[in-house]
Amino acid sequence: MLGQYLPIVFLIVLAFLFAALSFFASRLLAPRSPNDKKEAPYECGIIPGREAPERFPVRFFLVAMIFIVFDIEIIFFYPWAIAHGEMGLFGLIAVLVFSLAVFESFVYLIGNGALEWGPIRREAQTGDVVSATRTTSTTVSRAGIRQVGLEGRTGGDS
Amino acid sequence: MIAALTTPYVAWWALVPLITFAVAGFLLLTVASLVRRLPAVLAPAWTAVAGLGVLLYLVPMWSRVGRDGADSFLAGTVGVDRSSIFVTGILAVAVIAAALISRDYLPREDLPGVELYVLLLMSAAGGVVMASANDLIVLFLGLEILSIAVYVLAALHLRRIESQEAALKYFLLGAFSSAFLLYGIALVYGATGSTNMVRISAFLAQNVLVDDAMLLAGLGLLLVGLGFKVAVVPFHAWTPDVYQGAPTPVVAWMAAGVKAAGFAALMRVFVLTLGTYVSDWRPAFQVIAAATVLAGAVVAVVQTDVKRMLAYSSIVHAGFILVGLQAATDRGNSSVLAYLAVYAFLTVGSFAVVTVVSGTGDASHGLDAYRGMGRRHPALAGVFTVLLLGQAGIPFTGGFVVKLGVLAAAVDGGAYWLAGVAMLAAAVAAFVYLRLLVAMYLEEVPSGTETSGAVPLGALVVAVASAVIVLVVGLVPGPLLDLARDAVPVLVAG
Amino acid sequence: MYLNQFLLLSAALFAIGVYGVLARRNGVLVLMSIELILNAVNINLVAFAAFGNQLAGEVFALFVIAVAAAEVGVGLAMILLLYRNRKSIDLTQIDLMRG
Repeated sequence: MLGQYLPIVFLIVLAFLFAALSFFASRLLAPRSPNDKKEAPYECGIIPGREAPERFPVRFFLVAMIFIVFDIEIIFFYPWAIAHGEMGLFGLIAVLVFSLAVFESFVYLIGNGALEWGPIRREAQTGDVVSATRTTSTTVSRAGIRQVGLEGRTGGDS
Repeated sequence: MIAALTTPYVAWWALVPLITFAVAGFLLLTVASLVRRLPAVLAPAWTAVAGLGVLLYLVPMWSRVGRDGADSFLAGTVGVDRSSIFVTGILAVAVIAAALISRDYLPREDLPGVELYVLLLMSAAGGVVMASANDLIVLFLGLEILSIAVYVLAALHLRRIESQEAALKYFLLGAFSSAFLLYGIALVYGATGSTNMVRISAFLAQNVLVDDAMLLAGLGLLLVGLGFKVAVVPFHAWTPDVYQGAPTPVVAWMAAGVKAAGFAALMRVFVLTLGTYVSDWRPAFQVIAAATVLAGAVVAVVQTDVKRMLAYSSIVHAGFILVGLQAATDRGNSSVLAYLAVYAFLTVGSFAVVTVVSGTGDASHGLDAYRGMGRRHPALAGVFTVLLLGQAGIPFTGGFVVKLGVLAAAVDGGAYWLAGVAMLAAAVAAFVYLRLLVAMYLEEVPSGTETSGAVPLGALVVAVASAVIVLVVGLVPGPLLDLARDAVPVLVAG
Repeated sequence: MYLNQFLLLSAALFAIGVYGVLARRNGVLVLMSIELILNAVNINLVAFAAFGNQLAGEVFALFVIAVAAAEVGVGLAMILLLYRNRKSIDLTQIDLMRG
């Protein structure tokens, strides 16, 4: 009975074993020489000019909260949808009154601009993320990495 | 297979107050959302008219129930009897008063418009549901409609951080107590097999539970949950902070409306539904009532903030109402209803005065703000004097009449010690009001206090009308007591 | 399956929730603890309904879920409001009012 599931169990065990093995193998075998630059967040090879954004705008929070309220209304619609035949006209009117109350709050939200996102504000640029003076070599020198393969060349700029 | 649902019997005439409050709130919200600039007077006027309409409609409703008897409908989940009409009347009065006080409060505090009135109407609708619930589910829904609106109301003063703190405190404790209440309802449901109050009381009258531990646990949790809402002593800790922090017109509604609905629910659940277990819950009620009146009165004396003082005095009042409630007799019930009515007038009047005195920013609630008020604002001070004397229960005020009523009901039930404790507490609490009176009339105006200007009309009307009604009830108590005596709560099967 | 098992589970959840409300200082965690209590109630209601062969409890549970959502919406909004003003949702710091 349960025996037919044995291959699946076997597969799961194998998957876990493989994942664990590769994880630890790379820990053990790979050469590690960490430094600040390597630990920093990776941004397409460019040194981050500002802190990685941690807090997202509160606006998302508002939308999430509105979503909670509208989302939960489904628990009244769903039973009605299942049994609307038996509940007849009374049930229909009751659900209509209920939806009216729900969409009333929607009207309020729209009316007060809770869902207006407004003109897109450009994030203030800190430092020279994009500028004419910024080149590969300035980025490399900003990072302070020992330059390899440039010995013997005249000048530094590419 | 579910049988086709037959349209349940609905006594629409009995739903009119509820529908009026709810639809008035909805319409106001819709109009305010769609129309940008509304005249400022519209929302308070609209709210007051809705309250007044309900109040007027209650008159024919009252006589109809008197003629045809109490009724229950919507598959027995909602009932209408004279006690629910009485409590609805108190709620309507509180709505009108809160709307009138807010009319001048919101512009003074530079707060935005209609939300206060919408939430006020919604929470009034919730209160009506509570007062006429015949089913624990409906009771819980009413309680939540009432409470959630009031949580938001408490946070409405956007620029006072106290308001937000008060709201968060009220919300966390309120939600916590709702959860207790729910657990209690679940246990009662498990023990009796129904959430319908009529069926629960019939079940308990016909069956003797072999093991009633679950029912008793549920009963205790119900008491905790409802005790939080009406602020009786072990569960009162939120009251002073919330009263101090919340906007003053909202406090008027909280003290008058929420308490009335809460006690109506206590009465329906304990006296009517669990009446057969009165010997189990009465001792708990008596101890809580005694602790409430004593602790409230003693702590009120040492307060320096007038709003906190009034908060503790409202706790004392809650204790007094409980003294009447624990009798679990018709006389006790009618004394509770009469007390709730007079208390509503006393408290909305008092908080109307507090709103005026608090000044812009809703901040000056110290005794200093009241010093020398007898000279600065003789009329306002006079009105406040009447209201304070009424709260203290001085003879010839309504407060005396209703205090006597609950004490008589307690003595009637043989709870002599409780009546004694309550009288002692009333004497202690009288010091609180005396202290305010002394500050108003005998102490000098502190230097540096500017004389505030004219008293806003809305608050003045509320304060004067309340004081007059309190005096009239004190001098001619007959009509109110007759009304309260006729407002017997009953449960009718659907 | 016995009714007692459900009641025990629900009582345990209730107790954990009450502990959380009393012991936690973070507003959001307190809110979550309250949710825990409400869900304990739901287990109770559904268990009673299932063992008593009736629907009332299950309908009640739906209402409880809806009300809990409304409560969470209001509660989170309040905590957010407080956070904007104080940069903290530590409930022990809500102490402007004393007396």
